[in-house]
Amino acid sequence: MEAADEWLLQSLRLYRDLHTFELQAPTRLIEWAPGNRVCVAGYGQSHGNEILQLIPPPTLLTKETQGLCPERDFKVECGGFSERPVYSLKCVPDTSLLVTSGPPDNSLQVWQMSAEDSDVIKSVSTIATENDTGKSWAKIATISARAPWVLHGSRLDRVQITEVESRKNVYTTGIQASRGSEELSGLAFLDCNTLLLCCATGRLCLADIRQPQRLTEATAVPSAPCSEQWCMGSRHGAQGLETSSQPVARLSSRGLLILTDLRKTSEFLASVKTRVPSPGSGAEFLCVSWAPALEGYLAISGFDGTVHVYDTQSWDSSGREAEPVFIHKGHAFGGAGGSGDSPLVTVHTWHLQKPRTLLSAASDGSLHVWDWVQPCGKCG
Amino acid sequence: MPEIKVTPLGAGQDVGRSCILVSIAGKNVMLDCGMHMGYNDDRRFPDFSYITQNGRLTDFLDCVIISHFHLDHCGALPYFSEMVGYDGPIYMTHPTKAICPILLEDYRKITVDKKGETNFFTSQMIKDCMKKVVAVHLHQTVQVDEELEIKAYYAGHVLGAAMFQIKVGCESVVYTGDYNMTPDRHLGAAWIDKCRPDLLISESTYATTIRDSKRCRERDFLKKVHETVERGGKVLIPVFALGRAQELCILLETFWERMNLKAPIYFSTGLTEKANHYYKLFITWTNQKIRKTFVQRNMFEFKHIKAFDRAFADNPGPMVVFATPGMLHAGQSLQIFRKWAGNEKNMVIMPGYCVQGTVGHKILSGQRKLEMEGRQMLEVKMQVEYMSFSAHADAKGIMQLIRQAEPRNVLLVHGEAKKMEFLKQKIEQEFHVSCFMPANGETTTILTNPCIPVDISLGLLKRETAIGPLPDAKKPKLMHGTLLMKDNSFRLVSPEQALKELGLAEHQLRFTCRVHIQDPRKEHETVLRVYNHLKGILKDYSVQHLPDGSITVESILIQATAHSEDQGTKVLLVSWTYQDEELGSYLTSLLKKGLPQSTP
Repeated sequence: MEAADEWLLQSLRLYRDLHTFELQAPTRLIEWAPGNRVCVAGYGQSHGNEILQLIPPPTLLTKETQGLCPERDFKVECGGFSERPVYSLKCVPDTSLLVTSGPPDNSLQVWQMSAEDSDVIKSVSTIATENDTGKSWAKIATISARAPWVLHGSRLDRVQITEVESRKNVYTTGIQASRGSEELSGLAFLDCNTLLLCCATGRLCLADIRQPQRLTEATAVPSAPCSEQWCMGSRHGAQGLETSSQPVARLSSRGLLILTDLRKTSEFLASVKTRVPSPGSGAEFLCVSWAPALEGYLAISGFDGTVHVYDTQSWDSSGREAEPVFIHKGHAFGGAGGSGDSPLVTVHTWHLQKPRTLLSAASDGSLHVWDWVQPCGKCG
Repeated sequence: MPEIKVTPLGAGQDVGRSCILVSIAGKNVMLDCGMHMGYNDDRRFPDFSYITQNGRLTDFLDCVIISHFHLDHCGALPYFSEMVGYDGPIYMTHPTKAICPILLEDYRKITVDKKGETNFFTSQMIKDCMKKVVAVHLHQTVQVDEELEIKAYYAGHVLGAAMFQIKVGCESVVYTGDYNMTPDRHLGAAWIDKCRPDLLISESTYATTIRDSKRCRERDFLKKVHETVERGGKVLIPVFALGRAQELCILLETFWERMNLKAPIYFSTGLTEKANHYYKLFITWTNQKIRKTFVQRNMFEFKHIKAFDRAFADNPGPMVVFATPGMLHAGQSLQIFRKWAGNEKNMVIMPGYCVQGTVGHKILSGQRKLEMEGRQMLEVKMQVEYMSFSAHADAKGIMQLIRQAEPRNVLLVHGEAKKMEFLKQKIEQEFHVSCFMPANGETTTILTNPCIPVDISLGLLKRETAIGPLPDAKKPKLMHGTLLMKDNSFRLVSPEQALKELGLAEHQLRFTCRVHIQDPRKEHETVLRVYNHLKGILKDYSVQHLPDGSITVESILIQATAHSEDQGTKVLLVSWTYQDEELGSYLTSLLKKGLPQSTP
């Protein structure tokens, strides 16, 4: 209790705002939904996992923090029950649908957000995939350009785009298995024609859906002596239609961070080593994300109970060690106080408008919302 | 079918007050009697005419139970008992009984004196109402009458708050009132045993909330105070005399010590006296663990917190002052407010809900120009903050409580049913119980399945188990006995005993069935065949061949006669008493199948 009290006192100058919540079940996703809503979902049990859409407290709904704010709580706006663990969730823009995925196979579940007269998120349909080996779970991304689409797949040679409502297949990668069948760790729409695919090996590819055979590869990450997993973070604009002018970040389970400018994929824009403990439970919760409202800032998590914030503006490709601008330690001081293992941060995300506000969740069910104070002596 | 009926009183969807009517096994109980703080007219009172159009409430209601002292749970009590008319018992815990009248009087003063309302209860009515109160202890079973009993459980939330179990025979209802499941500095978490009530009644309003932790709320409070004091401002914290003031003091004291702060903290003297009274009440209410931490330190021996003097308010420099009353409607806190309101460096932190008409309510609503006594205008430039430290259960808490109590049904009041479908499904799926969500004014009927205990006489039990195994081992054993209902008890006894007790004679019923058997031999040979056949099949039964030529299987008699017209046919007469119906029927069907050819 002592250490926790101490941290709370320190937090007075470390944060402008701090909220800590306890979800009934831990989540490994935090997704923004229209209307500044937040979605979380359970991943632990084999069935009966809840998907929740939450209304954040008023402080988070507006850009400016208001003085008088009695309400500090999240409200559950609607919820649904998933038969399988939910590992990934994406809202489908311009619709009231959302798509989830999770083990044991690559299929996707489509859900309908509540209508006026109900607060239940209903299961609508399933998008099955062909040749589903059932070994992994699909990574997903959504866009509503020509129609509401979902990009999904668990392997490089099995990436597809499916129209959400009709479940019609719109695109399949023409990549032969021989060119690569690695497991994917992430995928994204750069715009309505360009896909960004990141493999767990660190391989980063750009694909144009108008030319399924073509694949542009970014410079490979340095090979590692031991097994290393990679994930990526790309700047997502509000509608996913921004051009590829922002760099893509790749984070490895050993703490390497590589930035690549998509206009110059043959070189690294920057490469640094972050000081993180070697991951114990693997790279399952590796997460790197760019700040939408703070130029050049990104955050990483998944190594322990902390979230690190970095300013990438002074980075180069020397591979030197980078110092975080801020470390959020709140999850390590869990509510129960010393109940076994320290929790692991499962996911984090930035607030879309408030420049220094992040949300982070951990394996003990905690959900933190924090607005960190820029330490003096640093610009930006 | 026995049933429990629940009606939340109140109009439409308003959630401002609690007042629930429960009918259980012929008893009628009113749970809470709250005032709706949002209305200024009669809509603030529950609609009691619903209960009984022209009958007397005292005759209709067996008792009233108040869960805690918040006005939205007890605010209408004096109106109900003295103006509408009720003379029966009102149950609440000891601290609630001590604090209620103080709050009611405060509220009355504001409404009548400040706002000049007339249709309101008087001070005398509050006193008369409290005379009808019977105080209860936690976990003490209180017999309201011969059949109705109630028991209070610790609810956390505020001092004296309780959850109540209402029991008639083996049907019971648990009403939670307001409660919380996470312990804080001075109030533990709610707790209930696995009492398995037929129904658990709880609030739905907090069920869809995920609450920010207490520590973050405290952090925010400390931050605001610290920032104000750092810039040389003054912080006013209006408090209710018997509330969270002590907790906030401990918090500030610890913080001041840790941060080595020098600004003075004052506690107005009116508070200290009342606080001692509160302290005594509190000590007897809490559990062992919390009591120990408070015994270790006297709550009012603070290093950094001193008694306040009116003159200090004019001192320059930063300071923090706790003063009563809590809604800034009169007295010292209002005086200090008037002095400090004009300076934007200062801050007032309202720690709770304010009733309409008070200065507290006005500034929380955003008003910055107030008309004070003597038509003086006061411009409020100081910062106005609101902190709610009130502890309520949330979705997780409700699930925890249901898990503890294991009710057969759950009923949630004060929610919009369509907006609560998710919670309903959640509860139904996780606990396999029905979840009801009535609108205000709507009656929900819950069917119960009460277990009625019946004593079985030892003799009967022994006798019934002594009979040999049935032909079909898979069938459940059927026992014959007589159910006697006498003097509110049920007994299962043997028919003979029942007849004896009732002074009746027993009638014997005997059945005889004729079975035709093709057998040209003599009767006694047929009998022998039948005997050997039965002996071979019914190995576990007592099959005897009597000297008079008849066969008995247990108590069933079989005799053979020749058919009057056909020498080749024998007629078996199978005869049994009503009690042996099963075996008798079985034997008959067995014999009707005929005898095997090869028996000697």
